Amino acid sequence: MSVEVVVNEGDLAEMVEQVWVSYLDPEGVSPLVPTHDENQPTEVHSSVSINGSWIGHVVFACSNLAARRSAGAFMAMDESEVSPEDTADVLGELANIIGGNVKAMLPPGAHLSLPQVVLGPESQTRYPSAVRVSGLYGVWDGEPVSISMWQSRADAQKEADAQKEASAQKEASAQKEASAQKEGGAQKEAGA
Amino acid sequence: MKILIADDSRVMRQIVTRTLRQAGFGDHDLVEAADGQEALDKTNSERPDLVISDWNMPEMTGVEVLRQLRAGGNAVKFGFVTSECTPEMQQQAEAAGAAFFIVKPFTAERFGEVFSPILG
Repeated sequence: MSVEVVVNEGDLAEMVEQVWVSYLDPEGVSPLVPTHDENQPTEVHSSVSINGSWIGHVVFACSNLAARRSAGAFMAMDESEVSPEDTADVLGELANIIGGNVKAMLPPGAHLSLPQVVLGPESQTRYPSAVRVSGLYGVWDGEPVSISMWQSRADAQKEADAQKEASAQKEASAQKEASAQKEGGAQKEAGA
Repeated sequence: MKILIADDSRVMRQIVTRTLRQAGFGDHDLVEAADGQEALDKTNSERPDLVISDWNMPEMTGVEVLRQLRAGGNAVKFGFVTSECTPEMQQQAEAAGAAFFIVKPFTAERFGEVFSPILG
């Protein structure tokens, strides 16, 4: 059984579409095409942390070229004119926008941190106490881009356990009902 | 009119500026602030007619800036452009005296809707 997450891939895809329509692809010619490849290589990434009612991170990762292209699109200039500072700024803003939209879907009482930008691949950064709970992986104009959500390991485990217990209970009560029906049927037969 | 744009992202300040222009409000005086403290200081020193502020900024959040302005008797028109849009935040913004709440990502149409009544 897959673990149901508060914000799933479909939700992330909706947020991404908003960002693409508003900033990265206003003409609607180059959307993010899903690859479902969570191991696709990236060269830079940014993240925001969420605390409170949900604990974890939202990570935006992509190639250098996709990062420069994003900055160019945000600033309405050619990607070759974009400075590294502006690229980092845009990466942070992307994590912030997506993180803010994620936060809106979480239970009340979540807090968003300021963004953090790392001009290195996502695989370099470890979230030692968190596990990936959902992600959207794709290519934009041939360049890898991904958005993933990492949840506090303890919380993710607690949620998975609660779901397991709920489904076990459901199964037990279904079994009970089935055997009661069977018994009822047998009694009816015996009575007849 | 004088407009103060407060956001810790330089690129986002540029986008707000560009979107104002696209929405037909390109001929106003623009002032910028890069964090909450600067937003508070510049609102007091530059006396803008309108403040367009991010929520999550270093030094001081946008809503703290607004609260301090109101506490100091400054009644400038003030609103938020932010990626966060929970009902609790909207309530906090309203309670502090915010005039509008724009969620990122935004469009020029959304700016038109919000700013037409304010900027004419």
